Amino acid sequence: MTPRATQRKAFGEGLRKLNENMVTLAELSELSIRKAVDSLARVDHGTANEVFVLDQEIYALQLEVEKTCVDLIALHAPVARDLRTITTSLKITTDLDRIGRYAKDIAETTLLFDPGRRHFKKLVSIPHMADLTITMVDTAIEGFVKRDAESVRHLQETDDSVDALQDEVFREIVTYMMDGSMTVEVGARYILVARYLERIADHAVNIGERVVYMVTGERLPRVRAADRAKGRGP
Amino acid sequence: MRLENLSAWYGSKRALQDVTLDVEEHAVTAIIGPSGCGKSTLIRCMNRMHETVPKARVEGKVHLDGEDIYALDPVSVRRRVGMVFQRANPFPTMSIYDNVAAGLRLNGMRDRRRLDETVLRSLKQAALWDEVKDSMDVSGVGLSGGQQQRLCIARALAVEPEVLLMDEPCSALDPIATAKIEDLIFDLKKQYTVVIVTHNMQQAARVADYTAFMYLGRLIEFNRTRDLFEKPREELTENYITGRFG
Repeated sequence: MTPRATQRKAFGEGLRKLNENMVTLAELSELSIRKAVDSLARVDHGTANEVFVLDQEIYALQLEVEKTCVDLIALHAPVARDLRTITTSLKITTDLDRIGRYAKDIAETTLLFDPGRRHFKKLVSIPHMADLTITMVDTAIEGFVKRDAESVRHLQETDDSVDALQDEVFREIVTYMMDGSMTVEVGARYILVARYLERIADHAVNIGERVVYMVTGERLPRVRAADRAKGRGP
Repeated sequence: MRLENLSAWYGSKRALQDVTLDVEEHAVTAIIGPSGCGKSTLIRCMNRMHETVPKARVEGKVHLDGEDIYALDPVSVRRRVGMVFQRANPFPTMSIYDNVAAGLRLNGMRDRRRLDETVLRSLKQAALWDEVKDSMDVSGVGLSGGQQQRLCIARALAVEPEVLLMDEPCSALDPIATAKIEDLIFDLKKQYTVVIVTHNMQQAARVADYTAFMYLGRLIEFNRTRDLFEKPREELTENYITGRFG
């Protein structure tokens, strides 16, 4: 005979609030990446400024999530999956906050270009990197919300694609800088933006790893990209 | 200590069902589970206290140093496997000294110097000496609840048991007295094997190296405490420790 599963009301309410705030935090982080890259692609200072407002909102919500987690630990002494959910939330908020900060860095880069000015060519790889990273953050948070460890296990592979795109941007920009068609200062801006997006993808991978721990209690081993490529074969 | 296919009955009611458990030496093992799950019955079988209840019986084996305790003299078993109960129960007519010395005298010890040494050692081990050294002739029942419980622990330690069983030793104590007993348990495991039954899961998490979760007379999960509270193997354990039993 197995007893019927119930949950203590106050604690359940706290967990529900935590879940909601985590979803909102992730949505704000994704929105800030989208707006930041959009502001860069269109050299739109207005949109870039919206990212700074989002960064403030993300920070405020991160503090609220932290407070909820500390309250739940202090008042309810959670264990097992409840404890893993709360400690995972605490770790993920840091990742989401970092994601927001990188979006802010991209928006700051936008402000370095004169409004309305065209780029050396239409940006392709950087928006593509942004799409991939947003999808990664989305997948990772979806895994968190649905308590689904399987959906996040392949984030590493998408991260490899983002890394490859970063290398592509790097090589392309260095070529322009070497042939003198782009100044080092401007070229460095694009390289840094690609680097910020690559870091965002890394944080999405972190979130995925933490979701696996939250759901299963197991910690995923870190595998180098080169070793993953070997595993996939030629 | 090893429990093997241990079952216990009160008349026709089966309170324990085929429990097999290896109790680690010099470690603390906590037994948790809802009321009526068989926790207390289990530890009462570990020093042959269960059979003192009318119509109670036991099947299976409890090995202590390779010997089945059910093949030994019960009194000698209880000397080797001491017990502390939920309610502190000092002998009301005896002084603090006599309470601690009671077991030794029952075993025939008469040498006053050895008695003094053992009482002193036991009270120190039970972290009570500093509080009672000037009032050894005072009745044990005049002490606070926490002190009385430590007096009972000293009494159990005086006969130098190998295993100390504790049946909810802190359930009637305030947080300060509870903390003292928990610190004491931490120190005691260096010399003794400790098994503690507790309703308080945080207490199990704080003091125990291993935790056994019981439900309806069965052992559901036995695991390292940190694993049981971080990632239990059984869903039933998870539901119990996270308060999801309805």
